[in-house]
Amino acid sequence: MDEQLKQSLSDLDEGTVLRLVQQRLDAGDDPLSILAACREGMAQVGKRYESGEYFVSDLIMAGEIFKEARALVGARFKTDGGPKRGKVVIGTVQGDIHDIGKDIVVSLLSAGNYDVMDLGVDVPPVRFVEAARQSGATVVGLSGLLTISYDAMKATVAALEAASLRPRVRVMIGGGTVTEQVRALVGADAMGKDAQAAVTLCDKWI
Amino acid sequence: MSNEALYQERFQRIKKVINLEPVERVPVVYMGSAFAPRYMGMSIAKYCADPNASLRVNLQAIDRLGGFDGVNMTAGGRITVILTALWMSRLGVPGRDLPADSLWQVKEAEVMTVEDYDTILKVGWGKFVNGYMPRVISRWEFLSAMMWMGFNGNRIQKEYRKRGYVVVSNALVFAGLPFEYLCGGRSMQRFYMDLYRIPDKVQAVMDVMLEEFLGQIAKAPTPTGIGGAWLGGWRAASALLAPRFWDRFVWPYVVKLADAMIARGITPVLHWDQDWTRDLERLKELPAKKCILNPDGLTDMKKFKRVAADRMAMMGDIPASLLAAGAPDDVRKYVREQVELFEGRGLILCPGCDAPINAKPENMQAFVDAAHEYGTVG
Repeated sequence: MDEQLKQSLSDLDEGTVLRLVQQRLDAGDDPLSILAACREGMAQVGKRYESGEYFVSDLIMAGEIFKEARALVGARFKTDGGPKRGKVVIGTVQGDIHDIGKDIVVSLLSAGNYDVMDLGVDVPPVRFVEAARQSGATVVGLSGLLTISYDAMKATVAALEAASLRPRVRVMIGGGTVTEQVRALVGADAMGKDAQAAVTLCDKWI
Repeated sequence: MSNEALYQERFQRIKKVINLEPVERVPVVYMGSAFAPRYMGMSIAKYCADPNASLRVNLQAIDRLGGFDGVNMTAGGRITVILTALWMSRLGVPGRDLPADSLWQVKEAEVMTVEDYDTILKVGWGKFVNGYMPRVISRWEFLSAMMWMGFNGNRIQKEYRKRGYVVVSNALVFAGLPFEYLCGGRSMQRFYMDLYRIPDKVQAVMDVMLEEFLGQIAKAPTPTGIGGAWLGGWRAASALLAPRFWDRFVWPYVVKLADAMIARGITPVLHWDQDWTRDLERLKELPAKKCILNPDGLTDMKKFKRVAADRMAMMGDIPASLLAAGAPDDVRKYVREQVELFEGRGLILCPGCDAPINAKPENMQAFVDAAHEYGTVG
């Protein structure tokens, strides 16, 4: 049944995923193993995206199905999904209120079993510093759609450095207009050209 | 040379490019809504609130940079109201919701509901929009801005021509991709999920919208000048959508709207933000020398040159990130490479999408200067 659940999620078959999750919960299966199968399905989705078979719309749909499956499990059992792979702080930087890209990254990282602290939008550098310090996160993700976000990203990286959190904390940036040139300008460790790249970076770093 | 003679010379140059004929110099056009006020020292709040100031400051910025043949689209009017109507979304307005000198921003939210689809099917798109707009903007703000545009549309065109500038996208037609209106109103996440969950209903709604848009195009005033009209896409981009959705919800509507525009003498300007590389071959299905591709720097121009540059001109595509974060030499290199790639034919140099608010003035200057230096053939 694990295989069927994994495959259904990988195929973005929402109805079948939710039916299978419900069946397994009714049968008294371990909620952590149900979530593990869903995560494996999400990992397959990521691979299909990287191979060019899937597109951003598919990542969004997969994230939504995973969220629904997790809600079903959460309604039956109080579980935080078991041990996490690591902590990530993420937010859209000061001056920018766009959250679509950030939300997709949060969704994919959560499905990838990362403990994600989402600071929201228009986040000043000091809040990134506080969150990274208090949570002990080793990765900070800075999102921004507009070109005005570059200065805020640069200020955030500088604030993390001033707080002596670098190089323990690695910084990744992403958003519509972000390029390698922008990464160099703001002083981040890496840039992700899409949401899946953020997962790949965290898998590499943590 | 008089400004009218300059206009005529530039008009012929751009016309030739659209017809994929050789030109003695690659034309260069301006596009930069928020750059102009920042460059000229006007607050963004004033730019948004005063439609006359917005027109004036754009013309001043273009004059100051010098060397432009024209503009992609005119300024004038209240940009935040225009964007609200385009995105079917609430906007954060500088001076009201945001600091006076910050950039306007779309507030992503699910304002249009699934139930609204049924309303559109029942009453049609136009009637639905009349009832919908107060959810995203005050009725007075919307109507007063639209009235200003109605009264001043012709004057705006004349102001550009008086200075010798050609307006590429000057046709008076209000029709776009149904996908983008619905995606803006529903929010990207919700709308994308609608495509998976209720595809038939979404398509039925799009078909209702399409019929109304085709009717509007048929009744549009006969275009003068270049006669371009945006047929824009951003969230409908190939990089974002699975092919089965793009083939069903995007491309058929592009073709039908483009064909209707062309039949009316209008030149569709495919203002395509994001990455459309995957589907560039499909451009071959559109009539030759009748459209302009207007990408933002993310679509692969080498592929476009290979597969569709014999069908339509390209207006673009200096990336916003380059203008904001690059150096003048980077900009010059980009311009030179574009001119070389297109071999000087079928190319109108233009900032990709829109020169951003924080584009460096020296980069904008390098862009125009390089267009003249490298764009001169022979």
